[in-house]
Amino acid sequence: MPRLTIDGREIEAKAGQTVMEAAREHGIFIPYFCWHPQLSVPGNCRICVVGVDDKGGEWVDIACNMPVSEGMVVHTNSEKVRARRKATMQFITLNHPVDCGICDKAGECTLQDYHYEYNGERSVSVDAKVHATKHHDLSERIVLDNERCIQCTRCVRFTREVSKSNGLGMISRADHSLVRAAEDGSFGRDPYSDNVIDICPVGALLSRSFLHKARVWYLKPTASVCPGCSRGCTVNLWHRRPEWRLKAPGMRTANESIDRVTPLENPAVNGPWICNKGRDLAALLGRARAEVAMLKGRPAELQGAIARARALVASARRPVAVVSSWASNEELAAFKASLGARFATFVKADCQPEPGEVVEDALLIRADKNPNTAGARALFGDAPLAIPPDADLVLVWGEGLDFGLIPPGAAIIHLNAWLAPENGHADVFFPVSIQTERDGHYTNFAGVTSAFAKCFPKAAGVADAAALFPALAGAGGGE
Amino acid sequence: MKHLIPDFEKMKERFPAGFESSLVLPCLHRIQADRGFVADEDIDGLVAYLGVPRVQVEEVLSYYTMLRREGIGRTHLQVCRNIACSMRGAEGVIEHACKRLGVKPGETTADGQFTLSTVECLGSCGTAPVMMVNDAYHENMTLAELDRLIEELRQP
Repeated sequence: MPRLTIDGREIEAKAGQTVMEAAREHGIFIPYFCWHPQLSVPGNCRICVVGVDDKGGEWVDIACNMPVSEGMVVHTNSEKVRARRKATMQFITLNHPVDCGICDKAGECTLQDYHYEYNGERSVSVDAKVHATKHHDLSERIVLDNERCIQCTRCVRFTREVSKSNGLGMISRADHSLVRAAEDGSFGRDPYSDNVIDICPVGALLSRSFLHKARVWYLKPTASVCPGCSRGCTVNLWHRRPEWRLKAPGMRTANESIDRVTPLENPAVNGPWICNKGRDLAALLGRARAEVAMLKGRPAELQGAIARARALVASARRPVAVVSSWASNEELAAFKASLGARFATFVKADCQPEPGEVVEDALLIRADKNPNTAGARALFGDAPLAIPPDADLVLVWGEGLDFGLIPPGAAIIHLNAWLAPENGHADVFFPVSIQTERDGHYTNFAGVTSAFAKCFPKAAGVADAAALFPALAGAGGGE
Repeated sequence: MKHLIPDFEKMKERFPAGFESSLVLPCLHRIQADRGFVADEDIDGLVAYLGVPRVQVEEVLSYYTMLRREGIGRTHLQVCRNIACSMRGAEGVIEHACKRLGVKPGETTADGQFTLSTVECLGSCGTAPVMMVNDAYHENMTLAELDRLIEELRQP
């Protein structure tokens, strides 16, 4: 039985063992990648280098392929070994993408472990870490990881200085300090609470609705305008980058949905903030869509519907239009240019405040829950909606009109993006695109105009209102 | 708490208008002197009286070890555990007090006589280790002096 010394410890090995096997049997650790106790010894990774004392000084070679011999003196952590191991690590990681943050192996990866141990600098921290609460529910919308928190108090000061809910505070002291919501629940009622997610400089405050949904570099932001009220805050709509499209079956929706909404800083309108309603645009814009044209409630080809509507427009003696305050300036201008002279036109509010919604406040939220009332009124005036009883054709653009206001004998042309029972009551119904399917502008209550851009293609049966109106006027493009 | 409002009004005179949040700390002291600790209803009352956000009162209460949310024994022993006192033997004082009283820091003896606490710096590092017995400082504490104090305080 050969006796040898490893790191100053004398051990008795079995004949025919390698230094690697003998060391492991005696609880001495030598790092390895390519070696495996059940596999052959290829000796290709070179990370298991050890030093052996010799007359001419210390020589180094790989432990996995080195037979033990009587009296050999082995070093697993000499200066020479450390230098060789570090050089080997640098070689192995030469082309490594360092994408540990999104790699499933992270946390149980030998390369990662060895990098910290042999390639990089070890942590200078010697004290045990203070453990704090993880996955703490700060509100129904926001989850807090207190171990990631660096106690900068940005979130706390936001609730004091901007949203003024005083919903957050720093509880306790020193390394036990914790961000906590006030016991009176004021943070849960703060309509601007999600801004603390953006201003958190670390990963302590996270959106529950976006949690583990996507790595941000797989997404791209498209500039847009929040349609939630007449403030018209500029926002970024984040959606899947085309080059990172998910290819699994049934992923079309995931590729063409809004994954999150963040403010697009704009000193003229909203500064760096938006309200929580703006964060939830995916739900507002993701409602069930109308995608098929209809004649009196029966599905029809788009071209057939256009021909029927054009005939109604041509024969009407007293046509009235109720235009949408969710339409873009471009669409409204197209209506005015094509049909404006033919129709008596009113502007309608498509949306009203929802129950429980903050109707109006001093910071951003406006009582008018439509993005382009100002743009529509600039073209069509602000006469109160009153459909004359002798109207024989009513064009209803967008949702929110009580069809009971339409004279019983009048024909109805209806444009709507969403599924609704009224759609089937119209003589001609057109499904139309929403703002994520086209470029455009809205003008906010103060007269500031902001642009939004297309994110997704529209479905085949859906029309763009701006192209539809010239066709209805018979000015070409109809067939 | 309402019966303390005349006292609060007197304290208020010492602060410029608009400094209601600066009154949180002295008011909590006054409440604790009255009741022995700060109860939930005291927080509600103080928030209503000062008009400050509730979270600011919660912050102050959680920051200071001197402010209590529960009642304590008749004698409060508070031993400083910060660096100067620790270097001059506070850890031994704490261990000895635990042994003599049969309690851990933060606990009260079964007879309700003593509550033992460890606290942050008492601002008397020059005479470390320091222990407070209710409101009085006892400096340069030794185990023998601690024994003597406990015996003396145990007298009915």
